[in-house]
Amino acid sequence: MTRPDQESLRDLAAAYALGALSPEEAERFEAVLATSAEARLDVSEYREVAALLGLGGPQAPAGSALGDRVLARIREPQPRTPSRSRSPALWAALAASLIAAAGLAASLLATRGKLAAVEDALAARDATLAEARQRLASREATLEAILAPGVRLIQLTASGDPEPGIQLFWDRQRHRAIVNGYRLKPVAQGKAYQLWFITDGKPVPSVTFRPAPDGRASVGAVPLPADGAISAAAVTIEPASGSPQPTSPILLVGTLPES
Amino acid sequence: MPDEALRAGAVGDSALIARAAEGDERAIGPLYERYGGVLYAVAYRIVGQRADAEEVVVEAFAQAWREAARFEAGRGSVAGWLTTIARSRALDLVRARSRRDRITASAAADRPERSPAMGEFPLDPAGALDLDERARQVRRALESLSPPQRQVIELAYFEGLSQSEIAERLQEPLGTVKTRVRLGMQKLRESLRPFYFERGR
Repeated sequence: MTRPDQESLRDLAAAYALGALSPEEAERFEAVLATSAEARLDVSEYREVAALLGLGGPQAPAGSALGDRVLARIREPQPRTPSRSRSPALWAALAASLIAAAGLAASLLATRGKLAAVEDALAARDATLAEARQRLASREATLEAILAPGVRLIQLTASGDPEPGIQLFWDRQRHRAIVNGYRLKPVAQGKAYQLWFITDGKPVPSVTFRPAPDGRASVGAVPLPADGAISAAAVTIEPASGSPQPTSPILLVGTLPES
Repeated sequence: MPDEALRAGAVGDSALIARAAEGDERAIGPLYERYGGVLYAVAYRIVGQRADAEEVVVEAFAQAWREAARFEAGRGSVAGWLTTIARSRALDLVRARSRRDRITASAAADRPERSPAMGEFPLDPAGALDLDERARQVRRALESLSPPQRQVIELAYFEGLSQSEIAERLQEPLGTVKTRVRLGMQKLRESLRPFYFERGR
């Protein structure tokens, strides 16, 4: 892979391992990771570097009982199967506390166990909340980008049942676009959808993407070709690493208004 | 397997995580001996005080214990995975702290008492030396970076800022920040490669 855009995506590995990519960039980079063993190696090495970084600062000794606290925490009764839903734990804790309130034997030990379960359920809620907040921040960023002045919506259409489509939000001021696809059919292993900008009558390669199982795909901050008049955007199916020229028929197409 | 073999480092990191995933809590002790110091260093650097850093370490190991089954050996080392967890928990704590706009002075008073069961976890002397040597090498490697390169890497990792946020904070073009991150990390990757934690893989 020596195409310039691939190189620049690989360059994101260091920032990705440091957690310094925006949610949109991280999403694009993860698509690269899925197909590039080189990028995966880069990330695993940069993660090693990141793991060492903490040692570069001033060192302060930890309390001598820290190891015991770690062990004590993992020995507390808690739901630990990752696939298990968290709310049953909360229900279990609530039910247990009702029983206790009814005056059934509630030993100190049992109370501590329930507390731990409730704490764990709360911690799980916190984690879910943090995830939701992050998703929301990413959505907000996308929404802001879409609502910026000068952004136009171009609809790429195709025939099919159900009918797939792609919305292209074209930000002329910042010279970039957001791609939002829906009802896209899954593509074979090693293949991906690729976006093309028809510029001065020629297809200029842009990003590749694969739809999620629900048929949706979104790519943020897609750069537009710097030169030439863009007349249309089109999508074909290409090898996952992308093609310099389309190798398959156009699946979806939409024309851009004159700028 | 006798506990001795677990402690002596005869069992690789990934195998320990696999045991933890099966519910064998004896796997956590050796992992703490190997990486407790590193996790504490990352946590301390981010939260800036001892009681909170210790809580982060406890939380991080508890999370690793709960989520051991999710660890994917192909995607990086156990050390990398554990420090990533600790960094996230530490950043969460700092963010929660600033949200509440509260100084956790009371946390410092809440020092845990030394437990009599400490004898169960003798600090592995070889491991401790290893960590000191690594710390020296990391400091040397960081000093070999240009100060602006070091600054952007530290802002990203310890303050949880994205490259765009760093650019905004430093009033520098985004491209400049990205280049510094990339070149600085490339340099660190070359100079620190002999000191990666990866073992037993």
